[in-house]
Amino acid sequence: MRKVPKHYVFFGLFMLMAGGLLFAQGSGTLVFGLAGNPDTLDPQKTSGTLTFQVVKSFYDTLVEPDTSGKIVPALAESWSVSPDGLTWTFRLRRDVVFHNGQQFTSRDVAATLNRILDEKTASPKRSEFTMIQEIRTPDPYTVVLSLSQPYAPLLASLASGWGAILPSSLIASGHNFGAEPVGTGPFKFERWIRDSRISMVRNDRYWMKGLPKLTRVEFQIVPEQAVQVQGLAAGSIHALEFIDPDDLPILQSNPNVTIKKELTSLILVMAMNTSREPLSDLRVRQAVNYAIDKQVVLDVAYGGGKVGSTFLDTGNAYYTDFSSLYPYNPEKAKQLLKDAGVGNREFTISVPQNYPLHVKAAELMQQMLTNVGMKVKIQLVDWSTWLSSVYSGGNFDFTVIGHTGKLDPDGTLAGYGAGKYVKWYNSTVESKIKEAAKVSDFAARKKLYTEALEIMAKEVPFVYLGTSYRYVGTRSNVVDFRMTPNLDTYDFRWTEIR
Amino acid sequence: MNGIKFAAKRLLRLILTLFIITTIIFFVIRVIPGDPALIIGGVDASPADLEAIRARLGTDRPLSTQYVEFLWSILHLDFGHSMISNEPVISLILQRFPLTLTLAVLGLLIGILIAIPLGVLSAVKRWSGWDYLGLVFSQLGMAIPSFWLGILLLLILAIRFPIFPLFGADSFAGLVLPALSLGIARAAIILRHTRASMIEELSKEYIIAARAKGLPESFIRYKHALKNALLPIITITGIEFGYMLGGAIIVEQVFSLPGLGRLFLYAIYQRDFPLIQGGVVFIAIIFSVVNFVADMLYSIVNPKIRLE
Repeated sequence: MRKVPKHYVFFGLFMLMAGGLLFAQGSGTLVFGLAGNPDTLDPQKTSGTLTFQVVKSFYDTLVEPDTSGKIVPALAESWSVSPDGLTWTFRLRRDVVFHNGQQFTSRDVAATLNRILDEKTASPKRSEFTMIQEIRTPDPYTVVLSLSQPYAPLLASLASGWGAILPSSLIASGHNFGAEPVGTGPFKFERWIRDSRISMVRNDRYWMKGLPKLTRVEFQIVPEQAVQVQGLAAGSIHALEFIDPDDLPILQSNPNVTIKKELTSLILVMAMNTSREPLSDLRVRQAVNYAIDKQVVLDVAYGGGKVGSTFLDTGNAYYTDFSSLYPYNPEKAKQLLKDAGVGNREFTISVPQNYPLHVKAAELMQQMLTNVGMKVKIQLVDWSTWLSSVYSGGNFDFTVIGHTGKLDPDGTLAGYGAGKYVKWYNSTVESKIKEAAKVSDFAARKKLYTEALEIMAKEVPFVYLGTSYRYVGTRSNVVDFRMTPNLDTYDFRWTEIR
Repeated sequence: MNGIKFAAKRLLRLILTLFIITTIIFFVIRVIPGDPALIIGGVDASPADLEAIRARLGTDRPLSTQYVEFLWSILHLDFGHSMISNEPVISLILQRFPLTLTLAVLGLLIGILIAIPLGVLSAVKRWSGWDYLGLVFSQLGMAIPSFWLGILLLLILAIRFPIFPLFGADSFAGLVLPALSLGIARAAIILRHTRASMIEELSKEYIIAARAKGLPESFIRYKHALKNALLPIITITGIEFGYMLGGAIIVEQVFSLPGLGRLFLYAIYQRDFPLIQGGVVFIAIIFSVVNFVADMLYSIVNPKIRLE
């Protein structure tokens, strides 16, 4: 028995040394706290936000959104659309090299678009590209797309993460992009330890001169929120995207941490199943809207935001405000419910349990609806069940969710008026949205969208809660960490650690 | 010879068990709501895109076809590819197994090192200061949730006194706190069993006989009583070890460790059918192996017990 303490001493000493050796990294290395493991690093085989947030650094797109959300040249230095909207010509940059040394040419663009269009790839975004009838490459630096019909949103699809350009040689050889991405992006893939860390190093031959500034980026996967926050406070994490409002006080009082508050592009809603009695009655949907104090829900559940009034994020260039339609008015709600004869029917709010903020919002709204005399209970479901049973299966009365932003309003609005998960039908809305996708002039499009959005605002298949703020935390010596507008991906090209 | 017969019998039983549970799990995960194609496609995918994804995954075919194909590939020891990440199930599991194994072994060692000496001491010196210490420890160890203990350990030993890393399993240091929080919970359970088992042995007649024979007290306690008391302790330790080898979800979550627990948890969240099936088979095999080893240990500790 006497020997044991000695072992403990060695054990302890060893650990002290091992602990001290850790985290001896260069100053050009940025550690980013990622909340989960991406499903894959193949940009054309998933719709997962985490994937696009990570692969943004590996790949480039033909065009991309700038900091204001305007689409600007990237791998294509210019582009033009024929007057009939059917022929799109892209002129490519000549100084771009893939991470494997291959020169970037029009063949890569054609191969990538064909990969998306190939049914065997089963890209979840294929439908956004199906109006491309023919892809021609008259020379190595020109790509001509012929469309079957005018389709303005195509530019946004080409600028989104799933429009990432892959090298044609590796597409041909069946390379596993999901495990080992190869692109033209600012950082080269180094290693991915699943559920733990993704490492990338600077691409010295990146086509934007002098960029990127960092030498390495490490995505550290930290699932526990408390640990993320402590990591940022202590300095083992340099940047975090989504800080829970509850954790703000700890970080705001820390002089080494800077918190930036930005409007997200989320469209937060409580959706109503309008195929179900009595939610098919407009008066009941109006009553639900009058009963809810949206600002309170935004402030308490989501850490603040801008109240919405229709189905678009409040910061969107196409957004029009209709908030005078249904102000908070519980008395009016009670009257409408009485007129509609709702009585004792019990309603259920189904919420995905993996989104604690939506759960909190649902609880607040349950209380507000109870206050006007409705019987409401909450049902928590896991994300898979929400997708298949609630969203696709239509098994719900109410559900609380945030629709992610899109570069083009068509991405958000396509299909509404023709059912979607709220089972709401309005042929005027449906045709205006379809028509707007064919128009490329901003003012003409906005007019069509405003007409559709006004009907959606009046007929309220949703409670439009609005758009929340996001709190991005960085160490104070981290400068110019950017997030791509609407896509919410991470852009480390200009980022520096001083 | 006896050992080989015993092992063969066990193997047969394992195969039967595997057949039954894989069949149950195959149908259960497909009956509950959820569709991996929706996880891949998300809310914006068009119906046509979802159909293409289902065709790629093979989930558009009749269940019976899928089941026959599943049995056929299992017979060839082929667990297929993850539906979500498209990586081979075997390699996903084997990537994470070393970490989970290390963690389980460390956790068990810490558990045993705390529990057995303290448990024996508690039993030998009943109602003494040691005994109360043991009782309080095991009560607390079982009552404190391991995620809370984990966060507490991190706050003290990684933040307040930055001795250990806050996350990651890059070095041995990163495993100390998770092993400690696993080990303390195990220790609490093993300690209770050790104490109870030891008290029972010490009250048996052969102990009185040994004392009457004039054997030294320490010889009686550690050579005779402890050896016999070990049997139930081995059983409970084996079960605890089996659980830890299946992955310690909460501890992996708190300490950001890429272990089996998180792999299987997300597989269930995402309805990644092949990965769930592979995980179930893996855990079943692990439990059988651990039980087999525990049975072997029985006969080593007490040769009167024969393997049958």
